[in-house]
Amino acid sequence: MESDTQRIALGLRQRDIAVLETLVEQYQYRLVRYLVSLLGRRDGVDDLVQETWLRVLERGCSYDWHSRFEPWLFRVARNIALDTMRKRPMFSLDSKGEDGVRSSPATGEPSPYTLAARTQDAERLAHSLQSLEPACREALVLRFQEDLSLQEISAIVEAPVSTVASRIYRGLATLRAQFKGETA
Amino acid sequence: MILDHHKRFQRMIDESLAGGISGEKEQSLREHLATCAPCLEYLSASNRVIAVLGGFSFEVNPTLNARIMEALKLQSQNVGAAQPGRPQFMRQYNVQFKVWAAFVLALSMSIAGSALVYQVAKLLAVPMHFNTAQVQAGVLVFWLLPSVCAALCLLVAPREKRGLA
Repeated sequence: MESDTQRIALGLRQRDIAVLETLVEQYQYRLVRYLVSLLGRRDGVDDLVQETWLRVLERGCSYDWHSRFEPWLFRVARNIALDTMRKRPMFSLDSKGEDGVRSSPATGEPSPYTLAARTQDAERLAHSLQSLEPACREALVLRFQEDLSLQEISAIVEAPVSTVASRIYRGLATLRAQFKGETA
Repeated sequence: MILDHHKRFQRMIDESLAGGISGEKEQSLREHLATCAPCLEYLSASNRVIAVLGGFSFEVNPTLNARIMEALKLQSQNVGAAQPGRPQFMRQYNVQFKVWAAFVLALSMSIAGSALVYQVAKLLAVPMHFNTAQVQAGVLVFWLLPSVCAALCLLVAPREKRGLA
């Protein structure tokens, strides 16, 4: 892992476009998926993704190669998303967040999760996932889709590990309830 | 009582899935799961939820990568043109250099200032009946040490901000 992260850090420090191109290809989908989970919507995500990569180019020298690249990237993306929401209220997320993360009002349009569901189970969970507290949804996605550790998630969301863990428990409990009737 | 017992293990299942369980607890959980159907069902429902989370597939705009690479190249050229021959890491070193320069300047000023204050204090010591040792101690405690500490703060403060994305 060290040599990989060292290569990335060196590339970012030198603003090496070839390294950035590899990173864009490698992490683009995960970045989109994370931002959708954070915002609870699909529109505007592409602009945030572009903004994130520009910030990576600009501040790449602050990446510390001793830790993995993904948490650093997600943290950059998160800061940009939160900044954008503060500057543009129309972009804002729902108002349940403990950390300023709020989710968008229902517009009658299908949620990004409904559109992205590829299995019957996913279709069943899409609504619950959309209405889940954004901080819980974010923690679930980072843990189970991005495979980050509690410590890494804690660094991204700037919350204690215990808070992140309880968000994961709450999120799992809400989603598990969807299957309860079926398994009982 | 039995409900509490299950709840305890179900909490351990959550901890295990979240990745924050000790090896000892994990072992005890494994033993419990071998004999407890409700907890096994709880685990299987949790695993199903986790598997479903991977069942969402978002479409990425096919032109997005190209658009981003174009923006990155443009931005890279702009930065290069604005600062010819001066990469980002040079700027980082430049900031460190400025911090050190400020420290050296502050330290020199505190030493020079202390010497000046010492001379003034020596003149005032005679009418106020202080001896030389008292003047030296006074200048050291009330002037030199605080000013050196203030100079050291210049070095410490930027370190706290390092590592922020």
